[in-house]
Amino acid sequence: MNEDWTPIALSRDVPAGVTRAVRLDDRELVVWRGDGAAHVWEDRCPHRGMRLSLGFVRNNALNCLYHGWEYGAAASCVRIPAHPDLTVPPSIKANAFPAVEAGGLVWVGRHDAGTRPEPPEAVTPILSLGVDIDSLDAPRLDLDLPGGTLHLYWHRVTAGRIMLHAVSQGDVDPIHAAARVRHLRDELEQQVAA
Amino acid sequence: MSLTKDKAAIDQWYVLGATQDFPIGQTVATWLLGGDVTVTRQADGFEVTGEGRRLPIRTHYNHLWTSFGTPARDVFALPEAEEPDRRWLYCGGVRVAASGLRLIENFLDLAHFPYVHTDILGSEEKPEVAKYDVEQRRDVDEIWATKCEFLQPKAAAASEGGQISQYMYRVVSPFNVMLYKTPPTAPNRWDVIALFVQPVDETHAIAHPFMLVIDPSSTDAEIIAFQQMIFLQDKIVLENQRPVQLPLQPGRETPTRADLSSVLYRRWLKEKALTFGTEPRTDQVSDFA
Repeated sequence: MNEDWTPIALSRDVPAGVTRAVRLDDRELVVWRGDGAAHVWEDRCPHRGMRLSLGFVRNNALNCLYHGWEYGAAASCVRIPAHPDLTVPPSIKANAFPAVEAGGLVWVGRHDAGTRPEPPEAVTPILSLGVDIDSLDAPRLDLDLPGGTLHLYWHRVTAGRIMLHAVSQGDVDPIHAAARVRHLRDELEQQVAA
Repeated sequence: MSLTKDKAAIDQWYVLGATQDFPIGQTVATWLLGGDVTVTRQADGFEVTGEGRRLPIRTHYNHLWTSFGTPARDVFALPEAEEPDRRWLYCGGVRVAASGLRLIENFLDLAHFPYVHTDILGSEEKPEVAKYDVEQRRDVDEIWATKCEFLQPKAAAASEGGQISQYMYRVVSPFNVMLYKTPPTAPNRWDVIALFVQPVDETHAIAHPFMLVIDPSSTDAEIIAFQQMIFLQDKIVLENQRPVQLPLQPGRETPTRADLSSVLYRRWLKEKALTFGTEPRTDQVSDFA
């Protein structure tokens, strides 16, 4: 694992045309997908600060709910509807972070992020689940299940809360796998309470 | 929470609600500028206390106003309140998790109509904001935006179809604003829709929309329901702007020509050195450093 990259969502949970709000260490991010790979941006329109996760995806672009400002896949604003004849200056851009998809997950990278993450591939997404603990000891937990392995990734939402992202490898019953993740959550929260 | 030390904010009149919101014989606890305020209404009038003392009171326009400081002027004038054929409508207080200044700025904004009030106050097919005039009227210390026009599918409760609405906006104090808008039923006059904002703390406010309208046909309930629908659509935006406080620092946001009234409003707030409800700046040495 390398610490330049953080897994923040299951790729499956960001289908084409969808935005998701993700909180990472108290920073508000929007993950969205047009025609291709998922994008990870600061969840804030540079015009008036509106959260872009409330916006809408159309024509492979993310549109702000407040005034319809349209941001293309490269994060540049391409249209300001209040001024249809205006050529938008290239300086108007959403704040985009490096993003990759690997191992069934969307990863966000630091701006100087190095080699992309190389998690196990050929996985089945199980679920993302919030857990009221501050952290896990390792970047990834691997649990054996009948027929395969459960990989558990996580990111910190805020102090005292993380989000688990579970994928499975092999021939694992997804319902059983999801139940195992929920059980793990209960165990982890009980350890904190104890 | 404690009362702000921002003198520019303290020396203003603030609304606490429509007078009808306060039942006779009861005491109501509320908030203003981070401080606790208590309102007691007796048959012979109001008593407002805060910070362990009695605060001054006004009851202009059937609203209760108070101040922690010494406002330079009385509550603003609203000449339309003298016109006998206007209906007075109180929409009730709406609590919003945002700086009160964000509420005022959103109220001044035309460009969001097609997206936030889709097919009501604007349509996505016609999002253009035509050039309008803005000015700071120094004699009365108000901000005005005039010659505003917008194509509206359903401009008001009484609308039968679309119309090009004419608007004027008037900011009378940092937390009080009103618009003048052509009514569907009386194109030669102006409806008045006011937004009186009670700033609870830096990041919360209670909006008290108030209307003085010319509409002989709609019921009170219809007009109020229309206004509440519009305001609840705005509330979704207001609670999701970041930062929650209004940024005055250059470069934090990106105004365009459609935002001229916002630009002037922010400049006016800076001139007043008002900081309550604004994002702390990192580009200036504090006066207290």
